[in-house]
Amino acid sequence: MRGRAWLLIGLITCAAALIACRGTSPDARTPFVPPRTAAGHPDLQGIWQVRNAAHWDLQDHTGALNVPAGFGVVVDPKDGTIPYRPEARARKQANLAAREQSDPMQKCYLAGVPRTMYLPHPIQIFQTGAEVVFLSEYVHTWRWVPLTPLERYPGYESWMGDPRGRWDGDTLVVETVGFNGQTWLDHAGNYHSDALKVVERLTRTGPEVITYEATIDDPKVFTRPWTIRMPLYRHVDRTQLLEYECYLYAEDAGRPIIGSHPEVNE
Amino acid sequence: MTRHVGRVLWTRHLARNVGRVLRTRHLLIPIGASVVVGALMLTTAAGQRPSGDARPVQAIVVGGCDLANVNAFHACASAKAKAFMPPRTADGVPDLQGYWRSRNNNAAYNVEEAAATFGIPASGGHIIDMPDRHIPYRPEALARRNQLRGKGFDDPQAHCAPSGAPRKNVTLFGWKIIQPAGHVLFLYESMHDYRVIPTSGRPHISPAIKMWHGDPVGRWEGSTLVVDYRNLNGRHWFDMSGNFQTEHIHVVERYTMYEANAILFEARIEDDTIYTRPWTLAFALERNTEAGYYQLEYACHEGERDLQHLAAGNER
Repeated sequence: MRGRAWLLIGLITCAAALIACRGTSPDARTPFVPPRTAAGHPDLQGIWQVRNAAHWDLQDHTGALNVPAGFGVVVDPKDGTIPYRPEARARKQANLAAREQSDPMQKCYLAGVPRTMYLPHPIQIFQTGAEVVFLSEYVHTWRWVPLTPLERYPGYESWMGDPRGRWDGDTLVVETVGFNGQTWLDHAGNYHSDALKVVERLTRTGPEVITYEATIDDPKVFTRPWTIRMPLYRHVDRTQLLEYECYLYAEDAGRPIIGSHPEVNE
Repeated sequence: MTRHVGRVLWTRHLARNVGRVLRTRHLLIPIGASVVVGALMLTTAAGQRPSGDARPVQAIVVGGCDLANVNAFHACASAKAKAFMPPRTADGVPDLQGYWRSRNNNAAYNVEEAAATFGIPASGGHIIDMPDRHIPYRPEALARRNQLRGKGFDDPQAHCAPSGAPRKNVTLFGWKIIQPAGHVLFLYESMHDYRVIPTSGRPHISPAIKMWHGDPVGRWEGSTLVVDYRNLNGRHWFDMSGNFQTEHIHVVERYTMYEANAILFEARIEDDTIYTRPWTLAFALERNTEAGYYQLEYACHEGERDLQHLAAGNER
Protein backbone atom coordinates (compact mmCIF):
# COMPACT_ATOMS: atom_id res chain seq x y z
CA MET A 1 0.00 0.00 0.00
CA ARG A 2 2.77 2.39 1.00
CA GLY A 3 4.69 1.40 -2.15
CA ARG A 4 1.71 2.35 -4.29
CA ALA A 5 1.41 5.73 -2.59
CA TRP A 6 5.04 6.48 -3.34
CA LEU A 7 4.53 5.38 -6.92
CA LEU A 8 1.56 7.76 -7.19
CA ILE A 9 3.55 10.64 -5.73
CA GLY A 10 6.36 9.86 -8.13
CA LEU A 11 4.04 9.85 -11.12
CA ILE A 12 2.46 13.15 -10.11
CA THR A 13 5.91 14.73 -9.64
CA CYS A 14 7.02 13.52 -13.07
CA ALA A 15 3.86 14.79 -14.71
CA ALA A 16 4.22 18.16 -12.99
CA ALA A 17 7.82 18.41 -14.15
CA LEU A 18 6.82 17.62 -17.73
CA ILE A 19 4.06 20.23 -17.71
CA ALA A 20 6.42 22.79 -16.21
CA CYS A 21 9.00 22.17 -18.93
CA ARG A 22 6.50 22.25 -21.77
CA GLY A 23 4.84 25.39 -20.61
CA THR A 24 8.01 27.47 -20.52
CA SER A 25 10.52 28.70 -23.04
CA PRO A 26 13.76 26.76 -22.65
CA ASP A 27 15.58 30.06 -22.72
CA ALA A 28 13.80 31.40 -19.67
CA ARG A 29 16.08 30.01 -16.96
CA THR A 30 13.71 27.30 -15.83
CA PRO A 31 15.05 25.31 -12.92
CA PHE A 32 16.23 22.55 -15.23
CA VAL A 33 18.46 20.08 -13.41
CA PRO A 34 21.25 19.12 -15.79
CA PRO A 35 22.70 15.62 -15.95
CA ARG A 36 26.22 15.42 -14.56
CA THR A 37 29.51 14.10 -15.85
CA ALA A 38 31.57 11.61 -13.85
CA ALA A 39 33.47 14.63 -12.46
CA GLY A 40 30.18 16.03 -11.10
CA HIS A 41 29.93 18.97 -13.54
CA PRO A 42 26.81 19.73 -15.57
CA ASP A 43 27.07 17.71 -18.79
CA LEU A 44 27.31 20.06 -21.77
CA GLN A 45 28.57 17.38 -24.14
CA GLY A 46 27.04 16.91 -27.54
CA ILE A 47 26.68 18.63 -30.89
CA TRP A 48 25.13 22.08 -30.75
CA GLN A 49 24.23 24.93 -33.05
CA VAL A 50 22.34 28.19 -32.90
CA ARG A 51 19.16 28.71 -34.91
CA ASN A 52 19.38 32.43 -35.52
CA ALA A 53 21.00 35.02 -37.77
CA ALA A 54 23.60 36.27 -35.28
CA HIS A 55 26.40 35.23 -37.63
CA TRP A 56 25.12 37.77 -40.17
CA ASP A 57 24.24 40.53 -37.73
CA LEU A 58 24.11 40.61 -33.92
CA GLN A 59 21.49 43.37 -34.03
CA ASP A 60 17.94 43.55 -35.43
CA HIS A 61 18.18 43.48 -39.22
CA THR A 62 16.11 42.97 -42.35
CA GLY A 63 17.04 40.33 -44.89
CA ALA A 64 19.36 40.96 -47.83
CA LEU A 65 20.89 38.82 -50.58
CA ASN A 66 22.41 35.79 -48.80
CA VAL A 67 21.64 37.41 -45.44
CA PRO A 68 18.68 35.97 -43.52
CA ALA A 69 16.59 38.44 -41.55
CA GLY A 70 16.94 38.20 -37.81
CA PHE A 71 16.17 39.57 -34.40
CA GLY A 72 19.09 40.98 -32.46
CA VAL A 73 20.77 38.98 -29.71
CA VAL A 74 22.18 41.94 -27.76
CA VAL A 75 20.49 41.83 -24.33
CA ASP A 76 22.59 44.49 -22.64
CA PRO A 77 22.23 47.43 -23.36
CA LYS A 78 18.49 46.87 -23.21
CA ASP A 79 17.83 48.72 -26.45
CA GLY A 80 19.88 46.09 -28.30
CA THR A 81 22.38 48.61 -29.68
CA ILE A 82 26.11 47.93 -29.53
CA PRO A 83 27.73 50.78 -27.54
CA TYR A 84 30.41 51.90 -30.00
CA ARG A 85 32.74 54.80 -29.44
CA PRO A 86 31.92 57.43 -32.10
CA GLU A 87 35.02 56.84 -34.24
CA ALA A 88 34.55 53.07 -33.95
CA ARG A 89 30.95 53.33 -35.14
CA ALA A 90 32.21 54.97 -38.33
CA ARG A 91 34.56 52.05 -38.91
CA LYS A 92 31.76 49.57 -38.30
CA GLN A 93 29.72 51.36 -40.99
CA ALA A 94 32.67 51.20 -43.39
CA ASN A 95 33.08 47.49 -42.62
CA LEU A 96 29.39 46.92 -43.32
CA ALA A 97 29.59 48.68 -46.67
CA ALA A 98 32.56 46.52 -47.73
CA ARG A 99 31.55 43.28 -46.03
CA GLU A 100 31.52 41.16 -49.18
CA GLN A 101 35.28 41.71 -49.44
CA SER A 102 36.34 42.67 -45.95
CA ASP A 103 34.66 40.15 -43.66
CA PRO A 104 37.61 37.92 -42.65
CA MET A 105 35.33 34.90 -43.08
CA GLN A 106 35.00 35.73 -46.79
CA LYS A 107 38.67 34.69 -46.91
CA CYS A 108 37.90 31.55 -44.93
CA TYR A 109 39.84 32.80 -41.93
CA LEU A 110 39.24 31.51 -38.43
CA ALA A 111 36.02 33.03 -37.10
CA GLY A 112 37.36 34.07 -33.69
CA VAL A 113 35.43 34.34 -30.44
CA PRO A 114 32.54 34.55 -29.81
CA ARG A 115 31.60 34.26 -33.53
CA THR A 116 32.73 30.60 -33.74
CA MET A 117 29.93 29.76 -31.30
CA TYR A 118 27.08 31.09 -33.50
CA LEU A 119 28.20 30.14 -37.00
CA PRO A 120 25.84 28.33 -39.37
CA HIS A 121 28.00 25.24 -38.62
CA PRO A 122 27.76 22.90 -35.65
CA ILE A 123 30.12 22.78 -32.69
CA GLN A 124 30.83 19.82 -30.45
CA ILE A 125 31.54 20.02 -26.72
CA PHE A 126 33.62 17.51 -24.78
CA GLN A 127 34.44 17.54 -21.07
CA THR A 128 36.75 15.95 -18.57
CA GLY A 129 37.13 16.98 -14.95
CA ALA A 130 40.06 19.20 -15.94
CA GLU A 131 38.96 20.82 -19.19
CA VAL A 132 36.21 21.64 -21.66
CA VAL A 133 36.84 21.38 -25.41
CA PHE A 134 34.87 23.20 -28.10
CA LEU A 135 35.36 21.78 -31.59
CA SER A 136 34.12 23.65 -34.64
CA GLU A 137 33.21 22.04 -37.94
CA TYR A 138 34.07 25.30 -39.70
CA VAL A 139 37.75 25.00 -40.77
CA HIS A 140 38.40 22.30 -38.16
CA THR A 141 39.36 24.37 -35.17
CA TRP A 142 39.42 23.68 -31.45
CA ARG A 143 39.20 25.74 -28.30
CA TRP A 144 40.82 24.07 -25.33
CA VAL A 145 39.52 25.49 -22.04
CA PRO A 146 41.46 24.42 -18.96
CA LEU A 147 39.50 24.46 -15.69
CA THR A 148 42.69 24.42 -13.65
CA PRO A 149 44.95 27.41 -12.98
CA LEU A 150 47.42 27.79 -15.86
CA GLU A 151 49.68 30.78 -16.29
CA ARG A 152 49.15 32.55 -19.61
CA TYR A 153 51.97 33.22 -22.05
CA PRO A 154 52.51 36.98 -21.82
CA GLY A 155 51.79 39.02 -24.94
CA TYR A 156 50.13 36.14 -26.75
CA GLU A 157 47.86 37.14 -29.62
CA SER A 158 45.83 34.82 -31.77
CA TRP A 159 42.69 34.37 -33.86
CA MET A 160 40.89 32.19 -31.31
CA GLY A 161 42.22 33.62 -28.04
CA ASP A 162 43.55 32.04 -24.89
CA PRO A 163 40.63 30.79 -22.76
CA ARG A 164 40.37 29.85 -19.10
CA GLY A 165 37.29 28.21 -17.62
CA ARG A 166 35.59 27.70 -14.26
CA TRP A 167 32.26 26.48 -12.96
CA ASP A 168 30.03 29.08 -11.33
CA GLY A 169 27.34 26.83 -9.84
CA ASP A 170 25.88 25.02 -12.86
CA THR A 171 27.21 27.59 -15.33
CA LEU A 172 30.45 27.18 -17.24
CA VAL A 173 32.26 30.53 -17.35
CA VAL A 174 34.97 30.97 -19.98
CA GLU A 175 37.17 34.05 -19.94
CA THR A 176 39.20 34.61 -23.10
CA VAL A 177 41.86 37.21 -23.94
CA GLY A 178 44.91 37.15 -26.22
CA PHE A 179 43.19 38.12 -29.49
CA ASN A 180 44.86 39.63 -32.55
CA GLY A 181 42.05 42.06 -33.39
CA GLN A 182 41.64 40.72 -36.94
CA THR A 183 38.33 38.88 -36.60
CA TRP A 184 34.85 40.32 -36.81
CA LEU A 185 31.91 39.62 -34.52
CA ASP A 186 29.50 39.12 -37.42
CA HIS A 187 29.03 39.66 -41.17
CA ALA A 188 27.64 43.16 -40.54
CA GLY A 189 31.06 44.60 -39.79
CA ASN A 190 30.75 44.58 -36.01
CA TYR A 191 34.37 44.30 -34.91
CA HIS A 192 36.78 44.48 -32.02
CA SER A 193 40.44 45.25 -31.32
CA ASP A 194 43.27 43.27 -29.76
CA ALA A 195 42.07 44.58 -26.38
CA LEU A 196 39.05 42.27 -26.60
CA LYS A 197 38.05 40.29 -23.53
CA VAL A 198 35.16 37.86 -23.83
CA VAL A 199 33.40 36.25 -20.88
CA GLU A 200 31.08 33.44 -21.98
CA ARG A 201 28.51 31.72 -19.79
CA LEU A 202 27.04 28.37 -20.81
CA THR A 203 24.11 26.96 -18.85
CA ARG A 204 22.04 23.87 -19.62
CA THR A 205 18.50 25.24 -19.44
CA GLY A 206 16.67 22.31 -20.99
CA PRO A 207 17.23 18.75 -22.18
CA GLU A 208 18.29 19.93 -25.64
CA VAL A 209 19.24 23.55 -24.93
CA ILE A 210 22.23 25.47 -23.64
CA THR A 211 21.74 29.15 -22.94
CA TYR A 212 24.83 30.84 -24.32
CA GLU A 213 25.80 34.30 -23.17
CA ALA A 214 28.88 36.35 -24.02
CA THR A 215 29.96 39.67 -22.55
CA ILE A 216 32.21 41.63 -24.88
CA ASP A 217 34.61 44.11 -23.34
CA ASP A 218 36.95 46.18 -25.51
CA PRO A 219 37.62 49.72 -24.26
CA LYS A 220 39.35 50.67 -27.54
CA VAL A 221 36.10 50.12 -29.48
CA PHE A 222 33.15 50.21 -27.05
CA THR A 223 32.08 52.69 -24.37
CA ARG A 224 31.16 49.83 -22.03
CA PRO A 225 30.91 46.02 -21.90
CA TRP A 226 27.84 44.58 -23.64
CA THR A 227 26.21 41.18 -23.71
CA ILE A 228 24.65 38.84 -26.25
CA ARG A 229 22.47 35.85 -25.35
CA MET A 230 21.02 33.03 -27.43
CA PRO A 231 20.10 29.37 -27.16
CA LEU A 232 22.34 26.65 -28.56
CA TYR A 233 20.21 23.72 -29.71
CA ARG A 234 21.33 20.12 -29.63
CA HIS A 235 21.57 18.18 -32.87
CA VAL A 236 19.53 15.19 -31.76
CA ASP A 237 20.08 13.33 -35.04
CA ARG A 238 23.87 13.26 -35.34
CA THR A 239 26.76 12.17 -33.17
CA GLN A 240 29.77 13.48 -35.04
CA LEU A 241 31.03 16.57 -36.80
CA LEU A 242 31.98 16.39 -40.44
CA GLU A 243 34.30 18.97 -41.97
CA TYR A 244 33.98 22.29 -43.73
CA GLU A 245 37.36 23.11 -45.28
CA CYS A 246 36.49 26.53 -46.62
CA TYR A 247 39.76 27.64 -48.27
CA LEU A 248 40.39 24.23 -49.83
CA TYR A 249 36.94 24.30 -51.43
CA ALA A 250 37.83 27.72 -52.83
CA GLU A 251 40.98 26.19 -54.35
CA ASP A 252 38.96 23.32 -55.76
CA ALA A 253 36.64 25.84 -57.33
CA GLY A 254 39.59 27.58 -58.99
CA ARG A 255 39.45 30.58 -56.65
CA PRO A 256 42.46 30.10 -54.40
CA ILE A 257 42.54 32.74 -51.68
CA ILE A 258 46.04 34.15 -51.87
CA GLY A 259 47.49 37.57 -51.42
CA SER A 260 44.50 38.76 -49.46
CA HIS A 261 45.98 38.85 -46.02
CA PRO A 262 45.22 41.70 -43.63
CA GLU A 263 48.73 43.10 -43.68
CA VAL A 264 48.59 43.29 -47.49
CA ASN A 265 45.37 45.25 -47.36
CA GLU A 266 46.56 47.67 -44.69
CA MET B 1 62.07 20.32 -26.02
CA THR B 2 64.92 22.79 -26.23
CA ARG B 3 66.34 21.96 -29.65
CA HIS B 4 65.24 24.21 -32.47
CA VAL B 5 65.81 22.58 -35.79
CA GLY B 6 64.58 25.37 -37.97
CA ARG B 7 62.05 28.09 -38.29
CA VAL B 8 59.97 29.70 -40.93
CA LEU B 9 58.87 33.29 -41.09
CA TRP B 10 56.09 33.09 -43.61
CA THR B 11 54.03 35.93 -42.28
CA ARG B 12 54.44 38.84 -40.02
CA HIS B 13 51.75 37.30 -37.86
CA LEU B 14 53.40 33.92 -37.62
CA ALA B 15 56.79 35.56 -37.31
CA ARG B 16 55.65 37.20 -34.12
CA ASN B 17 54.42 33.89 -32.86
CA VAL B 18 57.57 32.08 -33.89
CA GLY B 19 59.66 34.44 -31.84
CA ARG B 20 57.35 33.77 -28.95
CA VAL B 21 57.40 30.06 -29.62
CA LEU B 22 61.17 29.95 -29.61
CA ARG B 23 61.29 31.89 -26.39
CA THR B 24 58.86 29.48 -24.82
CA ARG B 25 60.92 26.53 -25.93
CA HIS B 26 58.67 24.80 -28.38
CA LEU B 27 60.06 22.54 -31.04
CA LEU B 28 59.33 24.06 -34.38
CA ILE B 29 60.08 22.63 -37.77
CA PRO B 30 59.13 24.04 -41.13
CA ILE B 31 56.65 22.28 -43.28
CA GLY B 32 55.52 22.11 -46.85
CA ALA B 33 56.38 25.21 -48.74
CA SER B 34 59.28 26.06 -46.51
CA VAL B 35 60.99 22.73 -46.88
CA VAL B 36 64.08 24.15 -48.58
CA VAL B 37 65.01 26.71 -45.97
CA GLY B 38 64.27 24.36 -43.11
CA ALA B 39 66.05 21.42 -44.64
CA LEU B 40 69.19 23.39 -45.27
CA MET B 41 69.21 24.60 -41.70
CA LEU B 42 68.55 21.11 -40.43
CA THR B 43 71.28 19.44 -42.41
CA THR B 44 73.69 22.17 -41.50
CA ALA B 45 72.87 21.90 -37.84
CA ALA B 46 73.07 18.13 -37.80
CA GLY B 47 76.22 17.88 -39.89
CA GLN B 48 76.14 17.22 -43.62
CA ARG B 49 76.62 13.64 -44.66
CA PRO B 50 78.05 12.55 -47.97
CA SER B 51 75.46 11.95 -50.66
CA GLY B 52 74.37 8.33 -50.79
CA ASP B 53 74.84 7.78 -47.07
CA ALA B 54 71.37 6.95 -45.76
CA ARG B 55 72.32 6.49 -42.16
CA PRO B 56 70.06 8.30 -39.70
CA VAL B 57 70.90 11.93 -39.25
CA GLN B 58 70.89 11.76 -35.49
CA ALA B 59 70.58 9.26 -32.67
CA ILE B 60 67.10 9.33 -31.14
CA VAL B 61 66.34 7.26 -28.07
CA VAL B 62 62.80 7.28 -26.67
CA GLY B 63 61.77 5.24 -23.63
CA GLY B 64 65.03 3.31 -23.81
CA CYS B 65 64.56 2.28 -27.48
CA ASP B 66 66.86 3.63 -30.20
CA LEU B 67 65.18 4.75 -33.42
CA ALA B 68 68.35 4.49 -35.52
CA ASN B 69 67.09 1.20 -36.94
CA VAL B 70 63.31 1.09 -37.15
CA ASN B 71 63.04 -2.72 -36.94
CA ALA B 72 65.27 -2.82 -33.87
CA PHE B 73 63.20 0.02 -32.39
CA HIS B 74 59.96 -1.83 -33.12
CA ALA B 75 61.24 -5.02 -31.47
CA CYS B 76 62.52 -3.07 -28.45
CA ALA B 77 59.28 -1.10 -27.92
CA SER B 78 57.08 -4.17 -28.48
CA ALA B 79 59.04 -6.16 -25.88
CA LYS B 80 58.86 -3.32 -23.37
CA ALA B 81 55.12 -2.90 -23.98
CA LYS B 82 54.50 -6.53 -22.96
CA ALA B 83 56.03 -5.83 -19.55
CA PHE B 84 54.56 -2.33 -19.07
CA MET B 85 51.22 -1.67 -17.43
CA PRO B 86 49.94 1.77 -18.47
CA PRO B 87 48.02 3.93 -15.97
CA ARG B 88 44.21 3.76 -16.31
CA THR B 89 41.50 6.38 -16.63
CA ALA B 90 38.37 6.36 -14.47
CA ASP B 91 36.78 4.36 -17.32
CA GLY B 92 39.43 1.67 -16.85
CA VAL B 93 41.13 2.13 -20.21
CA PRO B 94 44.82 3.02 -20.68
CA ASP B 95 45.40 6.68 -19.87
CA LEU B 96 47.25 8.26 -22.81
CA GLN B 97 46.38 11.81 -21.81
CA GLY B 98 48.97 14.56 -22.02
CA TYR B 99 51.13 16.36 -24.56
CA TRP B 100 52.98 14.20 -27.08
CA ARG B 101 55.21 14.66 -30.07
CA SER B 102 56.48 12.43 -32.80
CA ARG B 103 60.09 11.19 -32.74
CA ASN B 104 61.47 9.77 -35.96
CA ASN B 105 64.32 10.04 -38.44
CA ASN B 106 63.04 12.81 -40.68
CA ALA B 107 59.89 10.96 -41.68
CA ALA B 108 58.30 14.38 -42.16
CA TYR B 109 60.53 14.75 -45.21
CA ASN B 110 60.36 11.16 -46.42
CA VAL B 111 58.83 8.09 -44.79
CA GLU B 112 61.10 5.92 -46.95
CA GLU B 113 64.80 5.40 -46.33
CA ALA B 114 66.58 7.93 -48.49
CA ALA B 115 69.88 9.69 -48.83
CA ALA B 116 70.09 13.45 -48.49
CA THR B 117 69.41 15.42 -51.65
CA PHE B 118 69.35 19.14 -52.29
CA GLY B 119 67.10 20.68 -49.69
CA ILE B 120 66.04 17.35 -48.19
CA PRO B 121 67.94 15.73 -45.33
CA ALA B 122 68.59 12.01 -45.19
CA SER B 123 65.73 9.97 -43.75
CA GLY B 124 66.13 6.76 -41.80
CA GLY B 125 63.03 5.09 -43.22
CA HIS B 126 60.16 3.99 -40.98
CA ILE B 127 58.59 1.15 -42.96
CA ILE B 128 59.02 -1.98 -40.86
CA ASP B 129 57.71 -4.70 -43.19
CA MET B 130 59.64 -3.94 -46.39
CA PRO B 131 63.32 -4.99 -46.42
CA ASP B 132 64.37 -1.90 -48.41
CA ARG B 133 62.11 0.39 -46.35
CA HIS B 134 60.44 1.59 -49.50
CA ILE B 135 56.70 1.79 -50.20
CA PRO B 136 55.63 -1.19 -52.37
CA TYR B 137 54.25 0.92 -55.23
CA ARG B 138 52.82 -0.60 -58.38
CA PRO B 139 54.99 0.56 -61.32
CA GLU B 140 52.58 3.19 -62.63
CA ALA B 141 52.08 4.52 -59.08
CA LEU B 142 55.84 4.76 -58.59
CA ALA B 143 56.07 6.83 -61.76
CA ARG B 144 53.41 9.16 -60.40
CA ARG B 145 55.24 9.46 -57.08
CA ASN B 146 58.45 10.40 -58.89
CA GLN B 147 56.54 13.00 -60.86
CA LEU B 148 55.01 14.49 -57.70
CA ARG B 149 58.36 14.56 -55.94
CA GLY B 150 59.44 17.65 -57.83
CA LYS B 151 56.24 19.54 -57.06
CA GLY B 152 56.50 20.63 -53.46
CA PHE B 153 53.92 23.33 -54.05
CA ASP B 154 51.38 20.57 -54.71
CA ASP B 155 51.94 19.10 -51.25
CA PRO B 156 48.52 19.48 -49.61
CA GLN B 157 50.22 20.47 -46.37
CA ALA B 158 51.71 23.49 -48.15
CA HIS B 159 48.08 24.51 -48.85
CA CYS B 160 47.27 24.23 -45.14
CA ALA B 161 45.16 21.14 -45.74
CA PRO B 162 44.51 18.91 -42.74
CA SER B 163 47.20 16.26 -42.92
CA GLY B 164 44.99 13.23 -42.35
CA ALA B 165 46.14 9.86 -41.07
CA PRO B 166 48.90 8.97 -40.49
CA ARG B 167 50.71 12.13 -41.62
CA LYS B 168 49.39 14.31 -38.84
CA ASN B 169 51.55 12.21 -36.51
CA VAL B 170 54.60 12.46 -38.76
CA THR B 171 54.89 16.23 -38.58
CA LEU B 172 57.07 17.34 -35.72
CA PHE B 173 54.56 19.58 -34.01
CA GLY B 174 53.02 18.18 -30.88
CA TRP B 175 49.49 17.38 -29.90
CA LYS B 176 47.36 16.87 -26.80
CA ILE B 177 45.51 13.66 -26.06
CA ILE B 178 42.32 13.98 -24.00
CA GLN B 179 40.01 11.13 -23.04
CA PRO B 180 36.43 12.19 -22.33
CA ALA B 181 34.12 9.23 -21.60
CA GLY B 182 33.89 6.94 -24.63
CA HIS B 183 36.28 8.98 -26.78
CA VAL B 184 39.88 9.82 -27.44
CA LEU B 185 40.52 13.38 -28.69
CA PHE B 186 43.69 14.56 -30.39
CA LEU B 187 44.13 18.34 -30.43
CA TYR B 188 47.04 19.17 -32.73
CA GLU B 189 49.09 22.34 -32.48
CA SER B 190 49.73 22.40 -36.21
CA MET B 191 46.84 23.99 -38.10
CA HIS B 192 44.54 23.66 -35.05
CA ASP B 193 43.62 20.24 -36.39
CA TYR B 194 41.71 17.70 -34.32
CA ARG B 195 40.61 14.09 -34.36
CA VAL B 196 37.59 12.76 -32.52
CA ILE B 197 37.99 9.02 -32.04
CA PRO B 198 34.93 7.27 -30.63
CA THR B 199 35.73 4.03 -28.81
CA SER B 200 32.09 3.02 -28.55
CA GLY B 201 32.28 0.76 -31.58
CA ARG B 202 30.04 2.79 -33.88
CA PRO B 203 30.26 1.79 -37.56
CA HIS B 204 31.92 3.93 -40.23
CA ILE B 205 29.81 6.55 -41.97
CA SER B 206 28.70 6.20 -45.59
CA PRO B 207 31.54 6.00 -48.13
CA ALA B 208 29.76 8.79 -50.00
CA ILE B 209 31.31 11.22 -47.50
CA LYS B 210 35.02 11.82 -48.04
CA MET B 211 37.03 13.98 -45.69
CA TRP B 212 40.58 15.27 -45.28
CA HIS B 213 40.32 13.98 -41.70
CA GLY B 214 38.70 10.70 -42.66
CA ASP B 215 36.36 8.89 -40.29
CA PRO B 216 38.34 7.46 -37.35
CA VAL B 217 36.72 4.65 -35.36
CA GLY B 218 38.62 3.42 -32.30
CA ARG B 219 38.69 0.42 -30.03
CA TRP B 220 40.89 -0.86 -27.22
CA GLU B 221 42.77 -4.10 -27.81
CA GLY B 222 44.34 -4.91 -24.47
CA SER B 223 46.44 -1.84 -23.72
CA THR B 224 46.54 -0.71 -27.35
CA LEU B 225 44.35 1.99 -28.86
CA VAL B 226 43.46 0.84 -32.38
CA VAL B 227 42.06 3.47 -34.76
CA ASP B 228 40.53 2.45 -38.07
CA TYR B 229 40.31 5.20 -40.74
CA ARG B 230 37.96 5.12 -43.70
CA ASN B 231 36.42 7.94 -45.72
CA LEU B 232 39.80 9.62 -46.29
CA ASN B 233 39.64 11.71 -49.45
CA GLY B 234 42.96 10.29 -50.68
CA ARG B 235 44.44 13.69 -51.51
CA HIS B 236 47.09 13.59 -48.81
CA TRP B 237 50.76 12.89 -49.12
CA PHE B 238 52.62 10.89 -46.47
CA ASP B 239 55.55 13.32 -46.40
CA MET B 240 57.17 16.13 -48.39
CA SER B 241 58.58 13.71 -50.97
CA GLY B 242 55.49 13.04 -53.04
CA ASN B 243 54.55 9.71 -51.45
CA PHE B 244 50.84 9.78 -52.16
CA GLN B 245 47.58 7.93 -51.62
CA THR B 246 44.13 7.51 -53.16
CA GLU B 247 40.58 7.60 -51.83
CA HIS B 248 40.75 3.80 -51.53
CA ILE B 249 43.23 4.07 -48.66
CA HIS B 250 42.50 2.24 -45.43
CA VAL B 251 44.65 3.16 -42.43
CA VAL B 252 44.82 1.34 -39.10
CA GLU B 253 46.81 3.11 -36.41
CA ARG B 254 47.94 1.47 -33.17
CA TYR B 255 49.05 3.36 -30.05
CA THR B 256 50.77 1.28 -27.35
CA MET B 257 52.37 2.87 -24.31
CA TYR B 258 55.64 1.03 -23.57
CA GLU B 259 57.06 3.35 -20.95
CA ALA B 260 55.48 6.14 -18.89
CA ASN B 261 56.57 8.78 -21.41
CA ALA B 262 56.73 6.72 -24.62
CA ILE B 263 54.21 5.32 -27.08
CA LEU B 264 54.89 2.89 -29.91
CA PHE B 265 53.03 4.25 -32.93
CA GLU B 266 52.23 1.96 -35.84
CA ALA B 267 50.20 2.69 -38.96
CA ARG B 268 49.21 -0.03 -41.41
CA ILE B 269 48.46 1.32 -44.88
CA GLU B 270 46.35 -0.59 -47.37
CA ASP B 271 45.36 0.46 -50.90
CA ASP B 272 45.69 -2.24 -53.53
CA THR B 273 45.02 0.23 -56.33
CA ILE B 274 48.55 1.66 -55.95
CA TYR B 275 50.47 -0.64 -53.56
CA THR B 276 51.28 -4.32 -54.22
CA ARG B 277 50.79 -5.16 -50.54
CA PRO B 278 49.91 -3.46 -47.22
CA TRP B 279 52.81 -1.75 -45.47
CA THR B 280 53.42 -0.44 -41.99
CA LEU B 281 55.03 2.67 -40.55
CA ALA B 282 56.39 2.71 -37.00
CA PHE B 283 58.08 5.27 -34.78
CA ALA B 284 57.90 6.70 -31.27
CA LEU B 285 55.75 9.30 -29.57
CA GLU B 286 57.41 11.05 -26.66
CA ARG B 287 55.61 12.81 -23.83
CA ASN B 288 56.25 16.50 -23.27
CA THR B 289 56.72 16.80 -19.51
CA GLU B 290 57.40 20.55 -19.42
CA ALA B 291 55.51 22.11 -16.49
CA GLY B 292 52.96 24.78 -17.39
CA TYR B 293 53.14 23.95 -21.11
CA TYR B 294 50.15 24.44 -23.34
CA GLN B 295 49.74 24.67 -27.08
CA LEU B 296 49.71 28.02 -28.80
CA GLU B 297 47.74 28.69 -31.95
CA TYR B 298 49.23 27.77 -35.30
CA ALA B 299 46.89 29.39 -37.82
CA CYS B 300 48.14 28.26 -41.23
CA HIS B 301 45.86 29.57 -43.97
CA GLU B 302 45.52 32.99 -42.33
CA GLY B 303 49.23 33.60 -42.64
CA GLU B 304 50.30 31.54 -45.63
CA ARG B 305 52.34 33.68 -48.05
CA ASP B 306 54.70 31.31 -49.81
CA LEU B 307 52.44 29.29 -52.02
CA GLN B 308 51.86 31.94 -54.66
CA HIS B 309 55.61 32.44 -55.06
CA LEU B 310 56.32 28.71 -55.26
CA ALA B 311 53.58 28.16 -57.81
CA ALA B 312 54.74 31.19 -59.81
CA GLY B 313 58.30 29.87 -59.71
CA ASN B 314 57.18 26.59 -61.17
CA GLU B 315 55.35 28.29 -64.02
CA ARG B 316 58.44 30.19 -65.10
